[in-house]
Amino acid sequence: MADVTENDILEEIRDQLEAIKVPGAKEAKPENTWSELDVDSLDLVELVKALEDRFDITISDDDLKPIESVGDAIALTMRLSEAEEGAPA
Amino acid sequence: MPVPDGGGALVTGGSRGIGAAIAERLKADGLTVVTLGRTSGDVQADVGDSGSVAAAFADVRKRFGPVLVLVNNAGERQDGLAVRMKAAQWESVIDTNLNGAFHCIRQGLDDMLSARWGRIVNISSVVAERANPGQSNYGAAKAGMLSLTRTIAREMARKGITCNAVTPGVIETDMTIGVADKLLAGVPAGRIGRPEEVAHAVSFLVSDGAAYVNGATLAVDGALAA
Repeated sequence: MADVTENDILEEIRDQLEAIKVPGAKEAKPENTWSELDVDSLDLVELVKALEDRFDITISDDDLKPIESVGDAIALTMRLSEAEEGAPA
Repeated sequence: MPVPDGGGALVTGGSRGIGAAIAERLKADGLTVVTLGRTSGDVQADVGDSGSVAAAFADVRKRFGPVLVLVNNAGERQDGLAVRMKAAQWESVIDTNLNGAFHCIRQGLDDMLSARWGRIVNISSVVAERANPGQSNYGAAKAGMLSLTRTIAREMARKGITCNAVTPGVIETDMTIGVADKLLAGVPAGRIGRPEEVAHAVSFLVSDGAAYVNGATLAVDGALAA
């Protein structure tokens, strides 16, 4: 997928958090941690699946372990998306 | 009662029998209660049809507020030995009893997640635990409800939402008129149960005191399945 921006990913994360009724989902910021947002491990499974589908990436369990905030998820998605972009077709 | 302001209870199949007793009891507990029936009740829907359920919930939200207590009681029986059972008999009973519970839970969870508070009570049956010849469809649907109950409990446990099941035994309703004596022979308690006794169990599971009871099955059957 070409030209993914950090803002695209933030908006997708907000939409997904909204879908599972996370309070304040629409105002979620990169510095917000999952714990602040009351996002639990099951919510994260849903979020990861949505990011994989939307940005055509694969997020491994190891990738996911250090992800503690919205900003971490954005950075990871950007990195994987760019790696995917650079991979041979 | 602990239901957050503006929240109400929806009882499916709440116009008669066990459902009516549950609706009465929750009203007496101080809840705003809405009954849903196929053709009766405050709102109408075919619970086996997800679109019909979504429309009914939209109507309930508009007229009564969010659904924070859901009692899945709507059910039907089409008994017959499996060897002679038609596919339509199987499907209809699974649709109403099991799929119907899922469709209502799916809708109710939206409201409950927004409130970070909710109570779901699934009215299963003793036949989920103790098979009855002629009820393969009904028994499978009611057993499926128990598994659904436990899964929802685990998924929602951190969100202030509980999901529990009640398994009534032989209860005095229209469905058991004329056959109660025959059914009674197998009941250790020596009597059939009253709809109010099932309603009492539901009232407990909805109460604030039951906040830590989650994924449980509460038998109200005079020890029939014990």
